[in-house]
Amino acid sequence: MNKSKIEELIAKYNEGLADPSEILELELLIESGEVELTRLQELAKLDESIDKISTVVPSKTLDRNFYSMLTKEKEKSKRSNFSLSWISFDSWVPKLSVAAVLVVLGFIGGSVLQKNSGGGEVKELAKEVSGLKEMIMISMLEKESATDRLKAVSLSEEIQGPSKKVTEALFKTLNSDPSVNVRLAALDALQNYAKSPTVREGLVRAIAQQDSPLVQVAMAELMAALQEKSSVKALKEILKQKSTPKEVKQRIEESIKVLI
Amino acid sequence: MAKVRDGDPEKLGLLYERYKRPLLGFFVGMVRDKELGEDLVQNTFMRILKYKHLFRSPQDVEAATRGEGDFRTWMFHIARNVKNDHFRKNKVIHEKVEKWEGKIKDEGNPLLEWEGEDEQRMLAIALEKLPEDKREVLLLSKYQEKKYKEIGEILGCTEGTVKVKVFRALQDLKVIYQQVEKMM
Repeated sequence: MNKSKIEELIAKYNEGLADPSEILELELLIESGEVELTRLQELAKLDESIDKISTVVPSKTLDRNFYSMLTKEKEKSKRSNFSLSWISFDSWVPKLSVAAVLVVLGFIGGSVLQKNSGGGEVKELAKEVSGLKEMIMISMLEKESATDRLKAVSLSEEIQGPSKKVTEALFKTLNSDPSVNVRLAALDALQNYAKSPTVREGLVRAIAQQDSPLVQVAMAELMAALQEKSSVKALKEILKQKSTPKEVKQRIEESIKVLI
Repeated sequence: MAKVRDGDPEKLGLLYERYKRPLLGFFVGMVRDKELGEDLVQNTFMRILKYKHLFRSPQDVEAATRGEGDFRTWMFHIARNVKNDHFRKNKVIHEKVEKWEGKIKDEGNPLLEWEGEDEQRMLAIALEKLPEDKREVLLLSKYQEKKYKEIGEILGCTEGTVKVKVFRALQDLKVIYQQVEKMM
């Protein structure tokens, strides 16, 4: 395409008169670098306006978290320098001997442990690990960072046969966590224990506690999936609320239809 | 960044101070949540430390003249992975956010926290309504200062393709903006 035709096309586009096939032609010219985006007046203006939108200011918490991570990294780096210094052999032969000795020791140690450990001890150990995970999970749910709390919720999925403590902590999160994402994750985690009548009852009770449309919709869908008919009353209450957005009402109505 | 890679983690503080705002701006624009955005900034810097050995200093003359631009491209590449991992892990949540067409005046929305003129406010709303991939390319364009070649490296496509993506995103944004304008 010659220059005058390109200019003509740009002018037409700028006046809002370009048809779809001309816009396609323009795309090809943009791709080949023959037309710069800055030549398209309205779009260039829009692009400039995006640049003017002020960026969100980072909080002090972000700085604090970053610098504490950096301090830990520095300490780790110092420690690894120290610990590596004493193994600075000049040739590869001693390194290889150390590696061989470690492999043999590991092998012997492994077989001895295997002989000694009975099934009961393994079970005991698994129980202890599970208890430890519970403790970590509950303490992580108290953290300030939403990511940590999300991690805590996902940790609950690793706990076998969760205790009352875990489900209670998850319900507390579902009903009162400030982050919608964390609340939704808690709902997902509780879904795994929905076989338990107590959990189901708790879920139905939790419907009334929710004010976020996202959680409300997720709960309605879960109730439909679980065929939990006792939830209809609570779901209908949400429909009555004036503050409930139209789209949410529609989704909840769909779930109620499945339940009735 | 080369110094961080070679055993001086303290230097990461300088990079953090320089890039925390654009990085947070990118994440908040994508996830629409300041607190979560900050968590993702933290995750990005954690990954930068974890994968510091993979950072390559500019070898050729052209790249050398770009200087820190290479770090920024690498950082946004990691940031994009952090964001994608977040969306993957929270797929259900994300889909629901996308499907739920919320109220236009969302007071809890961090994108709207700034005090601006109506035009800017409407633009932020329009940006919010843009599909994720288009919003991403416009945010990268803003925070990568229109360096389309670098954006291409982040997105895994050519400079020309990035320009077309920006063009299409701006066109869609214009249409949404006009709709928002009518509604305000």
